Amino acid sequence: MGRYAFYPGCAAKGASKELYESTIAVAEKLGIELVELPQFSCCGAGVLEEVKEAVDLAVNARNLAYAEKEGLDIVTVCSTCLLVLRKTKYLLDNDEDLKEEVNEILSEAGLEYKGTVDVKHFHWVLLEEFGEEGLRKRVVKPLSNLKVYPYYGCHTVRPESILGFEPSENPQSLEKIIKALGAEPVSGERRLECCGFHAFWPAPKMSMKLTGLNLLDARRNGANCMTTPCPLCHMNLDANQSRALKEVGESFKLPVLHVPQLVGLALGIEPKKLGLHRNIVPVNY
Amino acid sequence: MEKREVLFRIKRFNPKKDEKPYFQEYKLTVPKGMTVLEALQQIKDTQDPTLAFRAFCRSAICGSCAVKVNGFPKLACKTQIFNELDKFGTDTLTLEPLDNMEIIRDLIVDWDKPFKRMEEMKPWLVPDPEVVPKTLDEESRVYPNELKKFDSFTDCILCTSCFSSCTATQIDENYGGPFQLARVYRFAVDPRDALKAERSKIGYAFDMWNCVRCNKCADVCPKHISPVDGIMKLRGLSIDVGLKDNPGARHVMAFYKSLLESGMLNEVLLPLRTKGIKGVLENLPVGIKMILRGKAHSPVMKPIGEHETLIKVMKAAMEVE
Repeated sequence: MGRYAFYPGCAAKGASKELYESTIAVAEKLGIELVELPQFSCCGAGVLEEVKEAVDLAVNARNLAYAEKEGLDIVTVCSTCLLVLRKTKYLLDNDEDLKEEVNEILSEAGLEYKGTVDVKHFHWVLLEEFGEEGLRKRVVKPLSNLKVYPYYGCHTVRPESILGFEPSENPQSLEKIIKALGAEPVSGERRLECCGFHAFWPAPKMSMKLTGLNLLDARRNGANCMTTPCPLCHMNLDANQSRALKEVGESFKLPVLHVPQLVGLALGIEPKKLGLHRNIVPVNY
Repeated sequence: MEKREVLFRIKRFNPKKDEKPYFQEYKLTVPKGMTVLEALQQIKDTQDPTLAFRAFCRSAICGSCAVKVNGFPKLACKTQIFNELDKFGTDTLTLEPLDNMEIIRDLIVDWDKPFKRMEEMKPWLVPDPEVVPKTLDEESRVYPNELKKFDSFTDCILCTSCFSSCTATQIDENYGGPFQLARVYRFAVDPRDALKAERSKIGYAFDMWNCVRCNKCADVCPKHISPVDGIMKLRGLSIDVGLKDNPGARHVMAFYKSLLESGMLNEVLLPLRTKGIKGVLENLPVGIKMILRGKAHSPVMKPIGEHETLIKVMKAAMEVE
């Protein structure tokens, strides 16, 4: 199995601790070696670009440079971190002048960006390493009779020019994982819509309405729960669920699991190790 | 040549006689390489002369033929049918008019709303008298490094694909729109323009901070422009010209501060730093639940490994031109 530089991102280190716990547990169970580099910093979630593009690029080139030193591809569990890191790589690898400019900045700290490592999402790695069939073979507690709404959110799929793991208009990675676990994917028309997280501070009502509509779509498609590869989507869908549903005139409880939590249950990992007790909307497993 | 029998489900609507839009089905034998526009023309010529769609240049440059193909905005003239069928594993192609605009008839939408919005945002050059010569005898030069900042945004063909797919446009009536805001940015960094970064105040007035960064605009643009990038840079310019006392700008500075302090985002202080006491109170019920479930870190954070290299890099980056 592969060895990767693990980039958990701020959410998994803080407000989405259960994502960190479940990722580590699943990786251990499957024999994927995750090496967390202590030098990794926050990616700036894209908003650093609003301070100054050079700051955004330099901070993330620094992150990439530390992974390059170890010779390890980066694996992250946050979709926004994924986009920000991949975008930095994309821009620097396709513009020699820009790369030189950024390397001049990095040289202040004795670092260099070369472009030798890739950045992947944890659930991409699950499919790359095991495939649907390989995952199915490792399932000890199939999630039979469970209808799961695959909620992709934005930054695992868009823009395709930068993410590129699967077609952004019809991704299937989550459906494949859900099926491999023995559950049934119930995909609805909002599986690729935005949860509004990144406008939460300037426009909370808008953000909550979008999240409410997504929850409603999952409910209408008969989902018993939702799963998402993004901790920021998760924060809106789970922690802010009652507020979001209020915005669309609804009130119900729909459990939302991080992808590694769902995978972990099927692999027979004890729920506590998956941090399921931390989800705001209770999960009955 | 490879051929396939394709079922076209086309959304029809004539506001003069139909109560609401409905789907009509047509069957067509499609050879490999045929575009959506060629198919539409063939259906109109051989099966249904009443079918209405807009098209002109057939070369992906006039921007008139954008429609939704299996749910996503595309230029009909540059979209090959086989590629779309393969992507969705189907032999059915669903064609609909673009979203966020009124339907005039069938696949033709009314562009008044997005274009009027663009006009309100003044996306034209206001010559800077210190830069632009008074007569045509002299040239007004733009150097390659200056052009690089806005070059891609000049490729916009006003097809409104991004406007159709924009999440913020769907929800916020006052939102400027992706191609419109990107155009404001385009002039804000044009060295010949007199208003320059001050133009970001126009973006501010048109809710640019409400962009949810869903990146749909970047994904659907047939000219590979990324309006969202222009919008984010326009936000940055607004901070530069002093629009700092708002949640969007404060949120940005909270990240910057966190990175300098510890290298990781201080989530616990984020509500306070972004929205002050109001931010704390609004999020208190959720915050308490999260604390009770052990989802909050200490407000004082331990710095990351080799934090000093991050500080050096950030400071050096701030000094770059």
